[in-house]
Amino acid sequence: MDKERGNTQKKRNSSLYLPEVATLINKREMTPDDSFFEFQLKNRSLGHLPGQFAEISVPGIGEAPISISSPPSKSRKFEMVIRRVGSVTGALHALKVGDSAGIRGPFGAAFPMAALKGRNLLFISGGIGLVPARSAILYALEHRQDYKDIIILFGCREPAQRLFTDALAQWQKREDIIFHESVDRTNGAPWHGNVGVITTLLPKLGKVNPVDTYAIVVGPPVMYKYVIMGLHDMDFSDDHIILSLERRMKCGVGKCGHCQMNDKYVCRDGPVFNYDRIKHLQEAI
Amino acid sequence: MEILKISKEDFNSFIDEKRTASAPLEGPGDSISGHAEKWKTIGVVKKGANFVFAELNSAAELCLDYDVTVLPPKKYFLPPKETLLKFIPKKAESYAAVNHPGPIALIGVHHYDLAAIHLMDRAFSEGERDEHYMKRRENSVLIGIYPTKHYKYRFSSSVIRGQFRKAADIMLVAMNGFFVVEILTEKGKNYLQGAELQENDFSLADIEAAANKIKDDQKIPLPIELVPEFLEKNHDHSAWDYFGGKCFSCASCVLVCPTCYCFDVRDEVDLTLEAGKRVRTWDSCMLEDFALTGEGFNFRAGRGARFRHRIYRKGKHLFEKYGYFGCVGCGRCAGSCTAGIAGPVKVLKYMLEHKQ
Repeated sequence: MDKERGNTQKKRNSSLYLPEVATLINKREMTPDDSFFEFQLKNRSLGHLPGQFAEISVPGIGEAPISISSPPSKSRKFEMVIRRVGSVTGALHALKVGDSAGIRGPFGAAFPMAALKGRNLLFISGGIGLVPARSAILYALEHRQDYKDIIILFGCREPAQRLFTDALAQWQKREDIIFHESVDRTNGAPWHGNVGVITTLLPKLGKVNPVDTYAIVVGPPVMYKYVIMGLHDMDFSDDHIILSLERRMKCGVGKCGHCQMNDKYVCRDGPVFNYDRIKHLQEAI
Repeated sequence: MEILKISKEDFNSFIDEKRTASAPLEGPGDSISGHAEKWKTIGVVKKGANFVFAELNSAAELCLDYDVTVLPPKKYFLPPKETLLKFIPKKAESYAAVNHPGPIALIGVHHYDLAAIHLMDRAFSEGERDEHYMKRRENSVLIGIYPTKHYKYRFSSSVIRGQFRKAADIMLVAMNGFFVVEILTEKGKNYLQGAELQENDFSLADIEAAANKIKDDQKIPLPIELVPEFLEKNHDHSAWDYFGGKCFSCASCVLVCPTCYCFDVRDEVDLTLEAGKRVRTWDSCMLEDFALTGEGFNFRAGRGARFRHRIYRKGKHLFEKYGYFGCVGCGRCAGSCTAGIAGPVKVLKYMLEHKQ
């Protein structure tokens, strides 16, 4: 299945590292560590596809690769959920509505949404993996008639770390979506749902046709191996498993070397990979 | 294109004239401001017991009879630290690209370093073109020379072919008080305008013999075409634990490597807090945090895995991507390694001798 790519950044004579200006138009806290950001570019839409990322920067602090969580349909606006883990993400968290940031991108290979038309989609998202997955989930829901069953599984460490809680509640209610959710532990919070790692949700699905279904898996590095084992138990073939991987990145364009995994540059050859194409790479999963 | 010759004295006086001359408008120069700039003339000079590429104050400093330079000439195209952007802190509207390299001539670049530059040209021009590197290259003239001195770690004959000629504008062959001058590009021809070039009267056979006079002591122990598959089959070879156990993760091998181009990007702010710049610096996959993500996942935490990655990048990944072996056989890594293990010849020999 071929990778899909959005409009790449416009050619610049001066420097491919020169960011454009994006204005923060909306921001809210989702968890103590994760905040939702909505940005708007001055003169154009970002032109991304579901699953792509952008390099976002604060001048004087630095630049970081961040997944885009909105579908392409939002015109000149795009959304991100940023976890505060270091200096750049810390500076982004300090931005106020009306402030600006630098943006380069979109970068990377997208989820092959067009090629998945007419199939069942099984989204398996762990923790902050819901952020890139959401761009594809919302795209699929906007084009609901193009896909057969849409199954969404979401898991995170504890109830306080749930992201997009409004969307989760909606998906729970919708009759044209199969939705299951789990937390690894309740940590004392009120919780009536499933407790256990995300793979404990797979048996709840009953019979899923592995030939007509594609699994889209995004989560922390430790999750992939176990989810793939679970999917194999459900008779999924490797080419029906689509992953989005995380790596350290600097340039976003396959040059700086940080994200390299065997001979692949995750920033450019990925971050979305068909498992069949990378299962032989020892540095992948 | 053409083969001529020039006496070494005439060559030196020409270089001295050139050092103070302006670069032509249509050729290398600052096309943005529209005025010609002085050539920056770089050559190989002696520094203590070693040789280095440095800016010439006089052509008399040139030492073209050398074994190897401490650092490859890569530093003129991908500087150890360079400014990519300037900005006012916290003001994203203020980002501005910095990219106005002046004309530069490099004199005395060995063929393996030229092969390395050709590989870097491929890496920085393919896909998203890196104008910071490419403009420096476009504004440069490379005058190559075939080695005239032996270097005990060199094995370039077993890993490079003719690709060095794709980077060179001019190749020199040292012969009896003369340089035979092979002009390979229009840029090279323009640069040499005004030089006391004479008709070449050395036979091609003699030139060939002089160019290949220095034989390497070392060679890669298997044909380079077989290396990618050999590495592919030996991902779990005991060599990685063995060399990983000896490696200090000091990154010397990467610092001196002419084909290592991985980099870091970070911001620096003036003490006034009123101006800042985004800089690119050399980085190394041998350092522990090279693949460490913000969330604390390290995808190449072990020294053995990092050592393997460096060897795979040279012997497999770059080779498969660009069609040229990713190591040019300069031997600098072997010569600079604190633990005495970095040289690809040593690594491949060990792997062959300790088959699993």
